[in-house]
Amino acid sequence: MMQLTKPTSTPTASLVSAARERSGVARFLGELHRNRLILLLALPGLVLIFLLKYVPMFGIVVAFEDFRAQTGFFSPWVGLDNFRLLFGSPVLWRIVRNTIILNTLFIVVGTIAAVGMALVLNEIAQPLLRKLAQSIMFLPFFMGWTVVAMMLYGFFDYQSGMVNNLMQSIGLERFSFYEQPNLWPGILTALHVWKTTGSGCILYLAVLVGIDTQLYEAAEIDGASRWQQMRFISLPLLVPTVILLTLLAIGRIFYGDFGMLYAIVGSNALLYPTTDVIDTYIIRALQTTTNFGMSTAVGLSQSVLGFICVFGSNWIVKKWSERRGEDYSLF
Amino acid sequence: MRRSKLGERLFAGANYTVVTLFTVFCLLPFYLLVISSLTDQKVLQLDGYSLWPRKFSLEAYKWVLRGKPVLVGYQVSTFVTVVGTFLSVVLMCGVAYALSVKKFKFRNQLSFYIYFTMVFSGGLIPWFITCRNLGLYDNIWALIVPMLMNPWWIFILRNYFNGLPGEIMESAVIDGASDWTILTRIVLPLSMPVLATTALFVAVGYWNDWWHGVILLDFADFRPLQVIILRIINSIRAIRQAMAMEGGGALAISSAQIPAKSIRMAIVVVTIGPIILLYPFVQRYFIKGLTVGSVKG
Repeated sequence: MMQLTKPTSTPTASLVSAARERSGVARFLGELHRNRLILLLALPGLVLIFLLKYVPMFGIVVAFEDFRAQTGFFSPWVGLDNFRLLFGSPVLWRIVRNTIILNTLFIVVGTIAAVGMALVLNEIAQPLLRKLAQSIMFLPFFMGWTVVAMMLYGFFDYQSGMVNNLMQSIGLERFSFYEQPNLWPGILTALHVWKTTGSGCILYLAVLVGIDTQLYEAAEIDGASRWQQMRFISLPLLVPTVILLTLLAIGRIFYGDFGMLYAIVGSNALLYPTTDVIDTYIIRALQTTTNFGMSTAVGLSQSVLGFICVFGSNWIVKKWSERRGEDYSLF
Repeated sequence: MRRSKLGERLFAGANYTVVTLFTVFCLLPFYLLVISSLTDQKVLQLDGYSLWPRKFSLEAYKWVLRGKPVLVGYQVSTFVTVVGTFLSVVLMCGVAYALSVKKFKFRNQLSFYIYFTMVFSGGLIPWFITCRNLGLYDNIWALIVPMLMNPWWIFILRNYFNGLPGEIMESAVIDGASDWTILTRIVLPLSMPVLATTALFVAVGYWNDWWHGVILLDFADFRPLQVIILRIINSIRAIRQAMAMEGGGALAISSAQIPAKSIRMAIVVVTIGPIILLYPFVQRYFIKGLTVGSVKG
């Protein structure tokens, strides 16, 4: 995966003498001066990152405040009241559970689909067909969720949906899909597969293309069928990549695919029991309620849990890949 | 183990079938979408689905192109996409280049500064308050500025710059070239594949973005295309909910307030149109681009 430079520890000059410290500062400034042109090029971007990513990080103080629009980030301090309110609310359990269930479904089914499709595509001998299929499978990836949501209404709407029309024409009752929360984890997973399988199998295909052809030739001589070659050569060689990508996905398990859910479910409260996730809950809070403090507390809890998960999964990836003499970790 | 010719053929046949079926599954929604946008509204209402328009009609497209909101939305989305993509790629290249210059000692600390934003965030509400205070609210820049810097693409660009042959740069330095000359004359011309990939994905991101339009536009008299679509969806949803509560009473409102189905589908077609049209020309870039810099070694 992405190779990120390990942050080296900054030598702190605090313990050494004042003279050394001055020279440290001088060295630092000298380094900046020598590279002023490079810094000048990077500066606009770095300032933007500071304003839009770091300033909001200081804004998490709102989680400990009784937020008022007039006082902004400097509202009255209420300590942990927002968190007490949050942990006492029955909604918390629902949104956390839904986030984890939906993401688990997406990870498991999405991975199986992507790996399966990569294995099958790898067996297609005709390069033209293979390329064409790959390009078409990739197309849904570029569709915005609003577009998908609109298409979905075309299929599942009670009045004019294609599925309902089809069901009626073969003599079945019309069915209101948008009032059945139990169906939606399945529908959303199918959408996830539709949208991400084409892009997801690219990495797996890259691994398969890199496999030494001698392995297959040897298996061929030993009389292995194509199926056996897929099952006992290709699949095992994909396992490291599968584990790696899965662990990385688990690192983000507390972040719901809110673009999908906001566009498709939106304000349809009938579906909340199975589709309301942490992210959609926060957005609703932003739009409907005035309790910014509590919503920020939700966001902060999510960020902290997410942070722990990312580092935890990265640590596991690191330990696991070190045993294999490789390094797949992100940082 | 004995290999049977039949077994091999069945296996190959199964593979081809799976690939074909999944390809059709991916393509079918687009097909049905285009067909329903080209079908006469009355026929569509009666028959619903069909694999071929029973009564061909361009009425929906005429309606869409006459309607002012969609045209304004098109202009807004185009402006945001073009300006945003250009600024985004330029600014990210500046940062990525600084991270890739080996003589710059603090590049690791700088990498961490950017990397940290990938793993921790202040959350939505502090971000929203910050945007409002910065004046990124109710104007076109609210749709552009928040999406300019994407850490993921900064690192992809940096990895690509890192992979360029160092000897060329070193000899340029010996010849007295400045960092600016090296960047514009050597690094950028050599990086066209990754620049194209980045620009493509950033552009799609801008084109498909509705989220900033929902959160950061309030009283503005313009909306990007995606937000227009979202608003139509929301009104359908509201009417269906009202119907569910009152029975059939709201049926009369529904026909008046939401655009007919063929028109909705036509709006979707014109929204995804640019992507579909450009897709054949750019698709060879991104399949490569997604693996560029993402596989170690």
